[in-house]
Amino acid sequence: MESNSSLSADLKKVARELQSHKIELHQTRAYLQCILQNSTELIFATDAEGVLVSFSKGGVKVLGYSLEEVFGRPISDLAEDPESFASVIAGCQQEGCAVALDVAFRHKGGEAVYCNVSLMDLTNREGQRVGSVGICQDITRQKKLQEDLIQVDRLAEIGRIAAGVAHEINNPVAVINEASGWAAEVIADAKGLSPDDREELEGVVTKIKAQTLRCRNITHKLLGFVRDSDLAKKEFDLHETLKETVDLLKSEVKYTSIEIDMNFVEGPLPVVSDARLLEQVFVNIVANAIHAVVAKGGENGRIEIRTLKRDSQIEVSIEDNGGGIPEEHQDKVFELFYTTKPPGKGTGLGLPICQNIVRNLGGELSFETTVGVGTTFTVQIPAQ
Amino acid sequence: MSDQENIRILLVDDEETLLEFLSKRLLKQGYTVKAAFSGEAAINVAKEEPFDVAVVDLKMPGMDGVETQEKLKEIQPLLQCIVLTGHGSIQSALESGQQEAFQYLLKPVDYDQLVAAIKDAYKKKMELQSTKFREEVEKIQASGLGAHGIRKAIGKLQKIYGIE
Repeated sequence: MESNSSLSADLKKVARELQSHKIELHQTRAYLQCILQNSTELIFATDAEGVLVSFSKGGVKVLGYSLEEVFGRPISDLAEDPESFASVIAGCQQEGCAVALDVAFRHKGGEAVYCNVSLMDLTNREGQRVGSVGICQDITRQKKLQEDLIQVDRLAEIGRIAAGVAHEINNPVAVINEASGWAAEVIADAKGLSPDDREELEGVVTKIKAQTLRCRNITHKLLGFVRDSDLAKKEFDLHETLKETVDLLKSEVKYTSIEIDMNFVEGPLPVVSDARLLEQVFVNIVANAIHAVVAKGGENGRIEIRTLKRDSQIEVSIEDNGGGIPEEHQDKVFELFYTTKPPGKGTGLGLPICQNIVRNLGGELSFETTVGVGTTFTVQIPAQ
Repeated sequence: MSDQENIRILLVDDEETLLEFLSKRLLKQGYTVKAAFSGEAAINVAKEEPFDVAVVDLKMPGMDGVETQEKLKEIQPLLQCIVLTGHGSIQSALESGQQEAFQYLLKPVDYDQLVAAIKDAYKKKMELQSTKFREEVEKIQASGLGAHGIRKAIGKLQKIYGIE
């Protein structure tokens, strides 16, 4: 009897312990589940062969796949370079854990996703390796930001160098300018010149003068680009500015069949901004539109300028039915010194300067283009 | 060219070749021109000779255009200065604190534009000069000076015209 009662007491004790272990297990599982469900990072588990057996909710965010879609696939398949990722996994098998920075994966949508990956071996009670667990932290955004920052830095540096060069070049250009002016006067006064020679020399001097003007144009634009001018903000009617822009460019379309339509929201469009700088932007964009239409042949050329007021934002779109911007040029449109025009026609400064101005005014300059159909540039600026 | 003959121009720039051609052209048109290749040299010339208009480069080694212009004005208060700048922005030139200049022009400057500016500056100088002269004459009349005073006063008037 006595042994019976002690046995039952033991049993009760074991049952209690089991119950408490069960609770503990339940809590641990809930805790892990919570981490797996809520983490924005991709947490995965593979078997010993590297085949995926678990894939956290974060994986959907990071790579776009759900567990069902990747279950049974080797994890290295998801990497941009499966071979080098497989070697990371192999390294983990030797060391028990591994960290790989900046590993490129491919998102379900096709774009590259960069992650910092840490891997750890999963072992059973006997200490045998049964798989691995990995955590992937998405660093694509940071990486992009960092690249942007480097780019901005580089641009600023280029700007400073360019301004220095422009400034230095202005002096010799000034000398050439004066020398050619003096030469013109000497030629005008010269007695012994044949009419042919005189004409020839006058032509040469005129060309020198024209080319110094060209240099001057470039250096002044460049210096204007670099300087952080104070904005002269005041209230004005944007519609007036746009009308003036079109007036200014009337001579450009005089002998073409290009039509410029103005589709404005009703009434005046008051904004508080820098009218002079905005006009510079519009002149540039409309002139580009005219060139695009002319380059296409100018037949039935049409440029439409639209205005729109959206809450506190003003939008001006300039649409042309020119040839559009070929794909290979599209990401270079705002690049400094990038031009598709023949030498002497474009400086590659127009649109970068426009973008700079619009940004300084707190807005954004963007474009949409379809090859063969046309291009629309859109200036968005705050109304105040 | 009679009005041009009377304009006395002081050119100040460390770019000697530039001044060579600029002075040749201005001289040919009948202006009276002196060239100085530094701010310091300009000051020395201005101590000896009166000018109507000075054309000063902003960026020079040693004494820069701002300081040169200020010093020139100390010596010859009615002198009008045209400042040449290589800066893309006239605004930035203005910000450097020389509101005293008659006009700012961007380098490389267009010759006709420069000549027009020189003529405008000269006109302004003439107006200031007449005003000043009239004031001095009125002062002399009001004070009723003797012979000695008149001699002194005429010296002063000559100084206004830069003909002592």
